[in-house]
Amino acid sequence: MEASPVKFVDQLVVIILSPENLLFFMRICILFSLFFAIQVPGDVILDLSNMANQTLKLGGGLRQDGDSICVMKAGKLRFMKPNKYWVESSQKRYVPSAGDNVLGVVVDTKPENFLVDIKGPALAFLPVLSFEGGTRRNIPKFEVGTLLYVRVVNANTGMNPELTCMDANGKAAEYGVLKDGYMFESSTGLSRMLLSSPPHPVLEGLGKKLSFEIAVGINGRFWVNASQSSTVILVGNAIQKSESLSLVQQKIYLEKLLKSIQ
Amino acid sequence: MEQRLANSLIMTVNEKKFIENALLSDIRVDGRRPFDYRNLTISEDGSSEVQLGQTQVIGFVTGQLTQPYRDRPNEGSFAIYIEFSPMADPSFEPGRPGETAIELGRIVDRGLRESRAVDTESLCVIAGKLVWSIRIDLHIIDNGGNLVDAANVAALAALSTFRRPECTLGGEDGQELIIHPPDVREPLPLILHHFPIAVTFGFIGKENTAVIDPTHYEENVMGGSMTATLNTNGDVCAIQKAGGDGVLQSVIMQCLRIASVKAGDITSKIKNAVESYNTQRSLRKIKRHNPDQQASSDVAKHYMERLTVGSDQAGTDSQFSEHDKPNKKRSTLKNFIGGAASWDPYSKGVDGDELRATLASRVTHTDNHIEESSEVNPETKSIPKSSETTSAHKVESETNQSKTLKDAVKPKHKRKNKSNAN
Repeated sequence: MEASPVKFVDQLVVIILSPENLLFFMRICILFSLFFAIQVPGDVILDLSNMANQTLKLGGGLRQDGDSICVMKAGKLRFMKPNKYWVESSQKRYVPSAGDNVLGVVVDTKPENFLVDIKGPALAFLPVLSFEGGTRRNIPKFEVGTLLYVRVVNANTGMNPELTCMDANGKAAEYGVLKDGYMFESSTGLSRMLLSSPPHPVLEGLGKKLSFEIAVGINGRFWVNASQSSTVILVGNAIQKSESLSLVQQKIYLEKLLKSIQ
Repeated sequence: MEQRLANSLIMTVNEKKFIENALLSDIRVDGRRPFDYRNLTISEDGSSEVQLGQTQVIGFVTGQLTQPYRDRPNEGSFAIYIEFSPMADPSFEPGRPGETAIELGRIVDRGLRESRAVDTESLCVIAGKLVWSIRIDLHIIDNGGNLVDAANVAALAALSTFRRPECTLGGEDGQELIIHPPDVREPLPLILHHFPIAVTFGFIGKENTAVIDPTHYEENVMGGSMTATLNTNGDVCAIQKAGGDGVLQSVIMQCLRIASVKAGDITSKIKNAVESYNTQRSLRKIKRHNPDQQASSDVAKHYMERLTVGSDQAGTDSQFSEHDKPNKKRSTLKNFIGGAASWDPYSKGVDGDELRATLASRVTHTDNHIEESSEVNPETKSIPKSSETTSAHKVESETNQSKTLKDAVKPKHKRKNKSNAN
């Protein structure tokens, strides 16, 4: 048994198992199962009893239960150096968290705030003064149904999330009203894929052939604009369809699509 | 804390404008042309499941023996119940049916009823006393727009695979109701004269551009809609025009022409789904009868026993009610109906092995019961006899019963004449 080579999934990693790298191998196995397999609620990912004097930062979907860290929702476990852990999943409902760039729809106007729907459980507040150079004199006028690209500043339980249309330096940056175009719905997973680097292959492929504008909100919405409405429809539908495809399928789909355009 | 409003879909100004603008260049947001129908898939499994794009509806049909309406003593009835779950669309409130829910129910109901698609007269068992009442349950699983068409197709598909157990009148005086279990006699399908297919058009924008099969988003933008219910013969069964926008006569005629083509496509799709289900079903039945002759006859015996118990009740009940107050008739009738309806017409859950196991304990008990009841009611004697001989002379008992059916026709006429004379 000691001398048998082990193929490690489809990566060609061959490990000769000797007592000292058996431990190493087991660790890799545990890590592999932790970070690549899908976790379900109730799974224990970390045992704190043998991890004394370490500080951990837990993100969404994780919970400390005595001496262990439990998963609370289905998804993939993510880790960021040095000590951040969270669970990522794809869902229709968005749970707001500070720092997210989202697409919101104005639902109502109040003297102090705009009420904005960001697909979360509660409506978000966008203070009327949180625009670049915002004063009491120049409050923007948004009709109901205006589409905004905004940033979440505050997201606490039991309170409405707070939004802003400025970056950290008080500049408008790219935030603000999105005119024309069409807003497509997606899952939060697809939004994250669109924002990831390296860029989403379908998005990249389409961008080489067509010219369009896109704004992706992490809350499961993306907005596409182009000079022709057919381009908008093509891009939007291609992105929506690509969610359920594997990388190879995406490439085939993209090739077909680009051929059909010409 | 301001909660998210769930009672209406929030559409952005951009979306509304874009849908209208894109239509000017003959293209819709999901890539369709104005007169393209979404992909329709129908799957049958006793119940029907219809998917129209993102929209998803499940239909299920059940039958029950009830008293007919006074004004139509020899016609069965059918009713449509639509379940709107808030899971399908947050704007559906639980409990109270909304405006759209009622409208949807009416359109589907009218399409089927007014065009007399279902032959209600064949659902009559005893004129004025017992008829089949058919209940169609439609469950909206997901709302992606155009619920009317999807619900209509689900109802039709479910109706065309529904089978009711065969009922005959038997006994010595030909007054007893015999409900034949599916193993003894093949359950009967409903008689559908034609398939009335609903096709919905939406009218969007200032120029009232007509689009077929509007999506959820288009439904929010459109000024009006029109649902035409047609069959393959090109007969218009019903038209429903909703919304405020007026539509030109020429546009309506154009829509009807397109709808009749679509109706043909959809009808063939339903028929294909039904056919494949029927072949599957008959294949399954062959398997059920093949492996063990003993098992099937056991099942039959068990059914016959249950049957005789049921028909005993019916016999005594009917006697009772004829002699006694007419008020009681209703309650006894209801009791009887409960027995019939709880019995699964599809014989889905019948497990031969399980039945064999339970039979050993039951047989003695039921036999006693039969003897007792036969003392009370001498007319039912013929049926326990047949149940005793089932395993050996199953076919024979069957032919006996069918003979009594022929005899039963006469008294029924007699009674009719009597009531006429009165």
